[in-house]
Amino acid sequence: MTETTWIIAGAWISAGLTIFLFSFLYKDNPFFKMAEHLYLGAGMGWWFQVYLYSIWKPKVFEPLLGGDFFVLIPALLGLSLVTQFIPKISWISRYGFTFMMGYGAGMEIPAKLSTDFMSQIAGTIMPFSLMASMSGFDILNALIVAAGTICVLFYFFFSVEHKGSVKKISNVGIYFLMIYFGAAFGNTVMARFSLLYGRFDDLNTSAAASNFYATQIILAAIAAYFLIHSFMGKKGQAEEAH
Amino acid sequence: MAKTKTLAVLIAFFLAAGAASAAPAGKTASVPAIAGFTADDMPYDAGNALLLRWPDGQYGADTVYRVFLSTAAAGGWVHADEFKAADREAKAIPLPFWAWEPLPGELAVKLEIGALVGELKSGSDVKVKAAAYRNDKLIAESLAVTAQIRGNWFRLDRLNNLILLTVIVIAFFWAVSHAKRKGLFIRRIAGLDAIDEAIGRSTEMGKPIFYVPGIGQMSTISTIASTFILGEVAKKVAAYDSQIKVPHYDPVVMTVAKEVVKQSYLEAGRPDSYREDLNFFVSHDQFSYAASVDGMISREKPAAIFFMGYFMAESLLLAEVGSTTGAIQIAGTDVEHQLPFFFTACDYTLIGEELYAAGAYLSKEPMLVSALKVQDLGKLVVMVSVAVGGVLVAVGAKMNWDNLVQVVLTLFKAY
Repeated sequence: MTETTWIIAGAWISAGLTIFLFSFLYKDNPFFKMAEHLYLGAGMGWWFQVYLYSIWKPKVFEPLLGGDFFVLIPALLGLSLVTQFIPKISWISRYGFTFMMGYGAGMEIPAKLSTDFMSQIAGTIMPFSLMASMSGFDILNALIVAAGTICVLFYFFFSVEHKGSVKKISNVGIYFLMIYFGAAFGNTVMARFSLLYGRFDDLNTSAAASNFYATQIILAAIAAYFLIHSFMGKKGQAEEAH
Repeated sequence: MAKTKTLAVLIAFFLAAGAASAAPAGKTASVPAIAGFTADDMPYDAGNALLLRWPDGQYGADTVYRVFLSTAAAGGWVHADEFKAADREAKAIPLPFWAWEPLPGELAVKLEIGALVGELKSGSDVKVKAAAYRNDKLIAESLAVTAQIRGNWFRLDRLNNLILLTVIVIAFFWAVSHAKRKGLFIRRIAGLDAIDEAIGRSTEMGKPIFYVPGIGQMSTISTIASTFILGEVAKKVAAYDSQIKVPHYDPVVMTVAKEVVKQSYLEAGRPDSYREDLNFFVSHDQFSYAASVDGMISREKPAAIFFMGYFMAESLLLAEVGSTTGAIQIAGTDVEHQLPFFFTACDYTLIGEELYAAGAYLSKEPMLVSALKVQDLGKLVVMVSVAVGGVLVAVGAKMNWDNLVQVVLTLFKAY
């Protein structure tokens, strides 16, 4: 096959799989199922080779071949997890899990302490250190941030029942949260739209004459399938009614 | 006599030559030495920096200093730093007041060796010298000083973090002891009451419940919280003799979830209803996992779906499809930027810390309740510190009490 043929085949596969997955927006159908299972298999295959070539080969096989037998310790701990599949020796996996939990806790606790406590407090009170040179607006801004921090934390305070004035403070915290969530929602939606534009751009490229109108033909075929399926479904229902 | 004179001249010549060759590179006889120049290992670091110190004010404010270093590996002198005297006052060294006492009128330079000549082993010798310039003309130069870089086991500069950690650990043990003896109060969490409703609905409809633990690994806090909630949900499912399906992204999480669900069925007195395939692996690829779970949801039309754990871009893909099937959806995650999507597509959403609290609230397990109490203590510390610290810093800044401002800010310094 020539390079041009490969490019055309790629355009048909790309457009086809995109349209098959988008067809789920209408309803579940065999084309979606096919694309779904292909995606699942391709995804697994991809990660298998990533683990093989990015982890096992450079971090286990090659050091072992080079005489570094220390890598056997983490490798065996990792392999111990696989013993879960053999009930009689599944207890061995506890060593791997214990190591992971201990390692994870050791890594997380100091980092969280630093970011969730110290940085939070320091970041909130830091603007007040410029009080002598702050404008009224800057002071208001710093106060809003500090008040927002306290109110939001109050919302997540589980040791007291949220009633009366505590509930009011907590409600203010919810307003702060909702403002943040609204901004995050808009931000993420914009990012998703850029992904959608990317797909549309790809479909547009595949729709060119040089690609033998891949997008239009696949779209038309899918539409025809849904029409025929719908017609046959109605016919079947009518026959059942008789 | 003449022989003796000649010998003395020769000896004097060789001594002079030896002294000249021992002098640092680039030094000329007419340039005075920078007095008091010292180099030591940078304290409380991983062993990749030196601390250089010398008295300021020897050559005027417009002096520019250049620092050079030399290692056995690098050879020759490497230009390491250049600065004006005012830019390297000792008080600018990034160490807190309990770990560093800057002397007035002293210059101090933290020299990161790794960035200049690559990583060196602990104990390596590094030769350094400083030169003073005015109008790009050398006016003084220090003698070359050798210092060893060493990693430190104890980070005194992080003492505030250690104290906080110690307080938290002590509070945790106290809370565990108290929770076991008397129990601890946790306020009602809206959204968790809906769990019974969701399981009851699925039992009445004879449809399965999907419990989606997200794409986090077992070390992710939200995934750990999710497994606790899964345990309680599975217990209720077993008690109602309903069905639960748990599709997994991570094989390790699946292994843990299997044990959790199995234990829940045992505790509910229904070990006969437990099947190994209640937890099943789908894919370790984010979007193929989402596509596959979407397909299952749309085909099996579950009565209730739980999204509890760590979610990223697949959150809306999953929740939207669940919503179109008419299932009751209860979600919970600590990934803030995914929460809006759960708000829009789910019936109930646990926000951030509520997810952590949910496991404790449902199980009343003393360890979990204690952990929640300690988290509350932490929040209280933050709230009080922000309020009191903010006032102190504001007053200090307004009244020009710089020491007070610095002490308060340093106390809350993160690393």
